[in-house]
Amino acid sequence: MGMILRIAWKNFYRQGTRAILNVIITGLTMVAVVFNISLYNGFQAQATRNMVRTDVGGGHYRLPGFDILTPTEWEDRTFQMPVALKGADPADSAEVLVQQGQIFPRRRLYPVQLRGMDMRQTLIDVPLDRLRAWDEKSTGDQLPAILGTKMAERAKLGTGDTVVLKWRDRLGVVDARDLLIVDVVPIINPRIDEGVVWLRLDHLREITRRAGEVSWVAVSGPRGPVPGVEFQSPEMLMEDILHIIETDRRYAKIFWAILIFLAGIGVFNTQILNVFRRQKEIGTLMAMGMTPRQIVTLFTLEGSLAAFLSVFAALVLGTAIFSWFQSVGLDVSHLSESSIPVRERVLLKIRPHEVVQTGLAIVAIMVLVSWLPVRRISRLDPTLALRGRGIT
Amino acid sequence: MRGAKGKILAALFASCVLMLLASWPAGAGENDAQRLLTAVDDNLWSNTKTITGRLIIDNGRRERVLTWEVWMEGVERSFSHYLSPPREKGTKMLKIEDKLWLYTPRTDRKILIAGHLMRQSMFGSDLSYEDMMEDKKLSRAYRASLEPCAASEEAPCAVLYLLALDEGTTYHSRRLWVDPEKKIVRRQELYAKSGKLLKTVDFLDYRPIGQRLFPKKMVFRDRLKENTKTTYVFDSIEFDVSIPEGTFSQLQLKR
Repeated sequence: MGMILRIAWKNFYRQGTRAILNVIITGLTMVAVVFNISLYNGFQAQATRNMVRTDVGGGHYRLPGFDILTPTEWEDRTFQMPVALKGADPADSAEVLVQQGQIFPRRRLYPVQLRGMDMRQTLIDVPLDRLRAWDEKSTGDQLPAILGTKMAERAKLGTGDTVVLKWRDRLGVVDARDLLIVDVVPIINPRIDEGVVWLRLDHLREITRRAGEVSWVAVSGPRGPVPGVEFQSPEMLMEDILHIIETDRRYAKIFWAILIFLAGIGVFNTQILNVFRRQKEIGTLMAMGMTPRQIVTLFTLEGSLAAFLSVFAALVLGTAIFSWFQSVGLDVSHLSESSIPVRERVLLKIRPHEVVQTGLAIVAIMVLVSWLPVRRISRLDPTLALRGRGIT
Repeated sequence: MRGAKGKILAALFASCVLMLLASWPAGAGENDAQRLLTAVDDNLWSNTKTITGRLIIDNGRRERVLTWEVWMEGVERSFSHYLSPPREKGTKMLKIEDKLWLYTPRTDRKILIAGHLMRQSMFGSDLSYEDMMEDKKLSRAYRASLEPCAASEEAPCAVLYLLALDEGTTYHSRRLWVDPEKKIVRRQELYAKSGKLLKTVDFLDYRPIGQRLFPKKMVFRDRLKENTKTTYVFDSIEFDVSIPEGTFSQLQLKR
C-alpha cells in the first residue's frame, strides 16, 4: 500500500497545473458550500434573535386563535390580564395590546396597527424611552406616539409632527384625536416598524375603553397552564420566518449540488484522460505483476489526492475569506422592504460539525468520481493495453 | 272647612303651575328639537320604497359611477342590485336587520359581511358598510337639542345637535341643519367621540314626491381625507310600494 501511495503521489505531482486546478476548485467548492450554510445559519440566528428581542420574548400567552395577520379579529381577541400572570418582574413579562387604527398623513388614509406597550417592562427591547418619559398620566388633546424609521418614512412624518388618528373603542364608537409623534426610532425588526404606531399601554387602554385588557402577554419563559389562554412558544410564533429560511435552504442545496457537480466533473475528466492516455503504463504495471485491483487503487488514489489536498486548500482559503467576511458582514438592508426581521449586516455562523460533514461529503464524492472512470482498468487485456489499444 | 280646603287646593294648583312654568323653556326646547327630528325622520323614511340611482365615488384622482336599484322595507330590510359598470354588474347586497350579505358574480359566492368587515369601505367610497346599514331612525338613536343658527345660514334654519342615547352608537354626536318649515335636512355633520368632525353629508335638490320632500342627491365627504366624496343620486323613487314576496331572501342573491 505504501508503494502504491508513493507512486500515486508522484503521478499526481507530475500532473502539474491540472492537479493544482483540481485542488483549488474542489477547495473553493468546499469553502462556497460551508460559506452558504454558515450564511443561512447567521441569517436565521440574527432573524430569530431580533424577533425574540423585539417581539416574541420567551413566548406569548394569547387567546386561542389570535393571529396578528388578521387585523379584523384583533378587537375580538383581547382578554383581561390573567391573575396568574400578574405581578411578574418587569424583566420577565410584558403586556401588549394591539388594535386597529387609521392615520391620515397629508389627509390620505393609512391603516395602522396601534400597539400599546407596558412602559415598566424591560423584556421587549424597543426604544420607547420618549413615551416612557411622557409625564402626563392621562391623554390630553394630543396622544403621544413613536414611529419606526420605515413607518415614518412611508407616512412622511417626523418627530414633532401631528397627524389625525381614528380608531374605534370597545363598544364600536368612532373616535379621533391628534397624534403627536414624540420620536422616530430605528427598529431592527421591520415587522414591528412598518404600519405600527407605538403607544403607551395605559393610553391605548384609556382611549379604547379596554381597562386591564391585553392582546398577549410576552414572557421570558413558560409559566405553566393559565386558564382561558394558551402559551405559544417562540418557535410557534416565528414559524413563518423559520419556514421561509428552511425553504431557502432547500433551494440552496441545488446550488451546492451544481458546485459539487462542477468540481466533480473536473476530477472525473482528469481520471478519464489518465486511463485513456496511460494505457501503456497500465499494461506495463500489469506485466510487472500488479493486479488490476492494485492498479485501480493506484489510479483512484491519484484522483482522490485532489480531494484530500483540497481540504487543506479549503482551510487556508476559508480562513482568509471567512475572516475578511466577518469583518464586513453582508448588507441586507434591501430586505427591510420585506418582512424579514433583519436590518443589520449578516455575519456567518460557522458550526464545526457542519464544516466536517461538508468536507467529508465532498471528499467522498470526489473519491467516487475518481473511482468510477478507472473501474474499466480491471477489464483491460494487458497485451492490448501495452500497445495502447485497450480502450479505443 | 270648605274654605280652608279650597285654599290648600288653590295653593297646590298654583305651585304646580309655577313648577311647570319654571321647567318649560328647557324642556320645551328639547321637546321641540326631538319633535323636529322625528318629523325629519318621518319625511325621509317610509314603510317601503324603491330607488333607482347612481353612486358616484370620487377618490380625488378618479371618479367611478355605479348604477343601482334598491328595494327597502322600513329600516331593517333592503336589497340592492348593482347594474353597472361591468366590474360591479350583478353585485347584490341583502340587508336583514344587522346582517349584510354580499354576492359578487365574479366569485359566484355570497359573503356575510359581519363584525369588523362592516367597518371596511364600501366599493372604495367614503361610506363603510356600517354607514350604509344604518338601521335606526335618528330620532330613536339620539337625543336632540336646538342650537342657534349662524347668521350666514339660509333661513328658515334650525340646528339640531344630536347626542347618542346608547353609548355604543357609532357616531357619538351629530349636527343637523334643518329647514323647520319643510322638515328637511340640508346638511349633516358626524363627529367622533372627541368632538372631531369626521364626515359631512349634504342633502341637495329636494323635490316633492307624493306628500314628501326628498333630496335628489346626497353627498358624503370624509373630512379626514382630501378631495374625496361619494354622491348618491336618486334618479327615481317610489314610496309605499308593494315589494314582491321573496325580495328579501338569500335566494335572490344568486338569482
